[in-house]
Amino acid sequence: MGRRGSASSSSSLESSNYPALSSRSSLYQHNRDLSTDLRLGLSIATSSQGNPSTPSVSESDWPPIKPFLKETLAAEENECNSATFFVKVYMEGIPIGRKLDLLAHDGYHNLIRTLDHMFNTTIIWAEMDGEHSEQYHVLTYEDKEGDWLMVGDVPWEMFLSSVRRLKITRADI
Amino acid sequence: MLRMARSLPEEVLEHVFSFIHSDKDRNAISMVCKSWYEIERWCRRRIFVGNCYAVNPSMVIRRFPEVRSVELKGKPHFADFNLVPDGWGGYVYPWIAAMANAYPWLEEISLKRMVVTDETLELIAKSFKNFKVLVLSSCEGFSTDGLAAIAANCRNLRQLDLRESEVDDPSGHWLSHFPDSFTSLVSLNISCLGSEVNFSALEHLVGRCPNLRTLRLNRAVPLDRLANILRRAPQLVELGAGTYSAELRPDVFSSIAGAFSGCKELKSLSGFWDVVPGYLPAIYPICSSLTSLNLSYATIQSPDLVKLVSQCQSLQRLWVLDYIEDIGLEALAAFCKDLQELRVFPSEPFALEPNVSLTEQGLVSVSEGCLKLHSVLYFCRQMTNDALVTIARNCPKMTRFRLCIIEPRTPDYITLQPLDDGFGAIVEHCKDLRRLSLSGLLTDRVFEYIGTHAKKLEMLSVAFAGDSDLGLHHVLYGCENLRKLEIRDCPFGDKALLANAAKLETMRSLWMSSCSVSFGACKLLGQKMPRLNIEVIDERGPPDSRPESCPVEKLYIYRTLAGPRFDMPGFVWTMDEDSALRFS
Repeated sequence: MGRRGSASSSSSLESSNYPALSSRSSLYQHNRDLSTDLRLGLSIATSSQGNPSTPSVSESDWPPIKPFLKETLAAEENECNSATFFVKVYMEGIPIGRKLDLLAHDGYHNLIRTLDHMFNTTIIWAEMDGEHSEQYHVLTYEDKEGDWLMVGDVPWEMFLSSVRRLKITRADI
Repeated sequence: MLRMARSLPEEVLEHVFSFIHSDKDRNAISMVCKSWYEIERWCRRRIFVGNCYAVNPSMVIRRFPEVRSVELKGKPHFADFNLVPDGWGGYVYPWIAAMANAYPWLEEISLKRMVVTDETLELIAKSFKNFKVLVLSSCEGFSTDGLAAIAANCRNLRQLDLRESEVDDPSGHWLSHFPDSFTSLVSLNISCLGSEVNFSALEHLVGRCPNLRTLRLNRAVPLDRLANILRRAPQLVELGAGTYSAELRPDVFSSIAGAFSGCKELKSLSGFWDVVPGYLPAIYPICSSLTSLNLSYATIQSPDLVKLVSQCQSLQRLWVLDYIEDIGLEALAAFCKDLQELRVFPSEPFALEPNVSLTEQGLVSVSEGCLKLHSVLYFCRQMTNDALVTIARNCPKMTRFRLCIIEPRTPDYITLQPLDDGFGAIVEHCKDLRRLSLSGLLTDRVFEYIGTHAKKLEMLSVAFAGDSDLGLHHVLYGCENLRKLEIRDCPFGDKALLANAAKLETMRSLWMSSCSVSFGACKLLGQKMPRLNIEVIDERGPPDSRPESCPVEKLYIYRTLAGPRFDMPGFVWTMDEDSALRFS
């Protein structure tokens, strides 16, 4: 988070401001002795009040969220970071498969990008339409019931809960 | 009038007074004449002390001898955000000790931001024979041992609510201390407990309390236990689920769904840690009767949230993470026409870039669609003056408006101007506004607007705003009903404070941290204002080890009849008449 330095100008209540204050309020008149006291009795220079202390923003006190919520969010983030779900990925024609952590991806787009890279091809999945070249590959997955389906039809979370493994096959089949 | 007062017997007056419940009205009654004061003080049953150091227990007991219900608040609000160092104070034991002697028939104790010990809980458990209600909100200092004492001894307990308290809970067995004969529980909130409670003890307790209406479970209660609990308490009106996550299995799903459908009275849901979206449809059947939904811990993404809220047509209160995004708030605006209160919390408060698409537009949509909206707490990363003006115009009945733009001093992202005019519109149009929190780039002008228009404002929170003392002066001078003012990291110094010292006696409290109030000014205030406690909180060491012109770290000023307190830790100093001498 970009922490800004103390940017405000000095808070000088110059004498030119005083008339604005004093002309308004009898309350101010009544309390005027205090600021007079201040000026006479303690001789505090107005300039020394100029700079606000450097903003003491730390993650422990800003933004203003209660500790219970902060802990819960931190815990959930940690869980997300440490959980893994590796599945096997085979490309047709290549006997040796790969393994991929699905939880390291936050959705289909991310997953496809990784697979494109991993297998050096262009993957076709449910969101792509139009004519496809025979050079491309289709991404399918095996679900809990043993059926092979095209990747991308169901919401990501539902996909995560039912996928068993992935297969990349040639598009001309 | 005098003749009438003498001719009405005491019993009649007392009976009439028994219909008056609000503190304000009761206080007004007691000021009519001496005999009304006397009659009223003997029949006041509830007292509320907004600052436990404003008065001492013996004063309260002396004036009100027959109290049945006490509510006390301790630390200032900014303690919620770690701004008040540990050990500052707020100890409730002296109050309980005094009341144990004076109020043997005390039934209710509600505490907020106070330090409660096991010893205190044990004293409560054995001193009040008809004890019914214990609410510990954001309290700390006690463990499940203290709770075990309450469970074991309070035969008529109706409500045990630990909301957001920090409890040392080594053992989940305290629940088993409720005897088998105990059946009076109406409300139980243990959502803040970190460790497991004994599940069979919990199920048995729930099963034998037929009047149980509110049950807020903690995260450690897994989803498969929830169905059992719900089946034993189909009369529940308010439920806090525990962890809402399990492997997706049809048998578990139908068990949960069936249990929820059986709860025909459910109006309020909360909890829902670690949500597996596949289980959300289990609550769809009860959505249409929900009036309150607290999903602040639920990491549900926007599409599922949209599906959920669009079925909650009776919703009045929604607390949710910013995963709801603008699109979810549009759905809220379209389907939840009874919405009164909205709170949106940040899912990644420390991230540099936004992780979700939640902007000012979401709040604008809700203000357009939900005409009853009057209470808002909104965390976001961008705002415009135009959006605020639109919101102000759409919601003239707004009573609580708290906006937190996460990055301090963020301007209107389109015009790059300060947000003075936007907040100005809020205070101008929302004439009933009682609570306001500011954020973003703000100059003294916003305070001028506030002082001019916010005549009903009772609580104001300010951070990283303003240019000079003039800002503070506008607020102190103009806000006639101001009770609580809390300020951090603003360039406010001595002048406005000293010029408005008398105002401070009309308020409950003022908090200023990382501002520019000098030690000298604090001393002066302490000298001149004997009915205020001027507490300088400074962890750098004694303030007199630095020049008088040096600003204090933190300052807490509150009116009091009890004089300086004696339970201060080493980093808190009270300025009083003698302090000028003591510190020179």
